[in-house]
Amino acid sequence: MTADAFIFWFLSLVAVMSGLSVVMMANPIYSALSLAMTMVSLAALFATMGAYFIAGVQVIVYAGAVMVLFVIVLMLFDLREETKAFTRGQISGAIKLAMVGFLAGLVVFVLTQGVKLMAAPDVVDAAKLPEDSSKALGLILFNRHVFGFEALGVLLLVVAVGTVALARSKGGTHAKQ
Amino acid sequence: MPSSEIVNQIGLSHYLVLSAVLFMMGFLGVLLRRNVLVMMMCIELMLNAVNLAFIAFSKFSGRIDGQIMVFFVMTIAAAEAAVGLAIIVSIFKRFREVNIRFFEHLKG
Repeated sequence: MTADAFIFWFLSLVAVMSGLSVVMMANPIYSALSLAMTMVSLAALFATMGAYFIAGVQVIVYAGAVMVLFVIVLMLFDLREETKAFTRGQISGAIKLAMVGFLAGLVVFVLTQGVKLMAAPDVVDAAKLPEDSSKALGLILFNRHVFGFEALGVLLLVVAVGTVALARSKGGTHAKQ
Repeated sequence: MPSSEIVNQIGLSHYLVLSAVLFMMGFLGVLLRRNVLVMMMCIELMLNAVNLAFIAFSKFSGRIDGQIMVFFVMTIAAAEAAVGLAIIVSIFKRFREVNIRFFEHLKG
């Protein structure tokens, strides 16, 4: 087994196991930590595919900021071990599992079609990704996609104001009972 | 021997299948869990799976636009987490519980 293949299998095993434990753990804190593990392993996968900037952003934004937000909110809540962590009802649970299986089949079908599309010769012969993909990413972000970038800035401003407004209503986290 | 080729030659389909598996886990979590926080974590898991597919397509087609899309998805996911957690906090203040069965009557 080559080193690249070993790294891929190892990282995907870590991602799948920790992703499964996000769903299966009854304690939400363990779910949050497993999700952080998944995100770190996905960041490593991004790095193996040459997307170094995205890998760094993944670690900083997802495994850093978003997960810290989740854990802080969890700590606000003082949750005991949940007794009803999963849905009741075996019939509805079975229907949900069947739906997931159906969607999985659909996704695999679409993926195989996509792989066939990617095997078309003109796509494969397209220019390879540059070595310094971060520089190319910055150039294309501030040239071709600059309007989307500005729209994201406006969105973040709106979200910041809206979050503060939501959290401050009726005394914030120190509301009286 | 085809199996050793599957193990050794990591191609686009490997990444896409991993992405599909992670997406299905997130989907299953959203359907089966009752804790709203864990449901939001599973949504983040699904977004990450989609990001993986974007990066894989970007690499194997040689175009960098997929990475731009991942950048946008990450920003919107962070915004969504912030707003969702604020809503969850305000719901927790009202019901002292984050189980989804308390959100069935969303009256003022």
